Amino acid sequence: MNVLVVYVHPDPASFVAAMRDRVLTGLTAGGHTTQLIDLYADGFDPLLTDQERRDHHHPPVLRPQIDGYAAQLRWAETVVLVYPTWWSGQPAMLKGWFDRVWTNGVAYELAAGGRPKPLLRNIKRLVAVTSHGSAKYTNAIEGEGGKRVISRSIRPMCNRLARCTWIALYNIDRLDSPARIAFLDRVEARMRRL
Amino acid sequence: MNVVVVLAHPSAGSLNHAAFDTAVTSLTMAGHHVTALDLYAIEYPALMSFDDRHAYHGDTPIINEMTLQHASAVKAADTLVFIYPTWWSSLPAILKGWLEKVMAPGIAFVFDEATGKVKPGLKNVRRIIGISTYASPLLAVKAANDNGRRTLLRALRLCTGVRTRSKWIGLYSVPASTHEQRTAFLSKIDAAMAAL
Repeated sequence: MNVLVVYVHPDPASFVAAMRDRVLTGLTAGGHTTQLIDLYADGFDPLLTDQERRDHHHPPVLRPQIDGYAAQLRWAETVVLVYPTWWSGQPAMLKGWFDRVWTNGVAYELAAGGRPKPLLRNIKRLVAVTSHGSAKYTNAIEGEGGKRVISRSIRPMCNRLARCTWIALYNIDRLDSPARIAFLDRVEARMRRL
Repeated sequence: MNVVVVLAHPSAGSLNHAAFDTAVTSLTMAGHHVTALDLYAIEYPALMSFDDRHAYHGDTPIINEMTLQHASAVKAADTLVFIYPTWWSSLPAILKGWLEKVMAPGIAFVFDEATGKVKPGLKNVRRIIGISTYASPLLAVKAANDNGRRTLLRALRLCTGVRTRSKWIGLYSVPASTHEQRTAFLSKIDAAMAAL
């Protein structure tokens, strides 16, 4: 399977970076073909611009700032997002990647009635691998914003039968290292049999 | 009262800008002290950098001058007002990044070393008001969980006092909206700010 891994964290020595490594190890062991996007290493600018907003209904044919990512999205059968959950959602870097890359002409086409027609039918699975500082019940109270953005807003742009998989570590600041290592093992195992 | 108004839209002349101008004018006329933050216009550095992240859990969690100014305005605020277009059922990246950097440890919450728990840090905030425009109709917004609203009225709300009130003013199906509906939206904002 073609798997696109999107990794987001400003610190190359973070736990989330370790999660990314184990995701890639697991996917390779499972015989998958992978491509990695490292948004911080790419120096990606996540802020949608005034011009992009104006171009929303009639985007230009060539968009050098996002065309590379768009091609990777069209190649992928599975997308794995590896990121820390901050304020119950995706970090600004990843949110901005949705805002600027998953646009009219890439993720969907605006039909006459204004209803978006999905374009990423090739993506049959979305996986989130994420860490939370807070407990699971706190996230439940907060409304699981990050999870719902993926399952309810991003997924409808993918294949009709696209599945979402949520692999999350909660309470990370209070966990000892055996619990963290156990999570990394779980991540790798899940990726191997994806 | 001290009111912080935050706007997150890239295009001058947008409905969001009109909402921002309406809110700021109405609040000022009502005699409130307003800190108006147009995040795109002031080129707020919204991305959590390597240095930001390293400082985050230390003694000085905020290292950026503009972020420090915004944090002290938030600490002195009675009311927070957020104005933004909902994209992907959530906050624009610039506003999400602003929350990540301004609402740092010691500002929005405090780690209690003794109990290991997180305590609210924004007891001064008595009211959170969200104003958002949506391309989707109300039912679709609800079906997608309105995640931006959840972030502000639940995650951020948990950092304020138990009696903190919240209010939401949304305009749905904006591309199909009429001039009258947009005007009514602005009037609603004007009235809500005047009644604060």
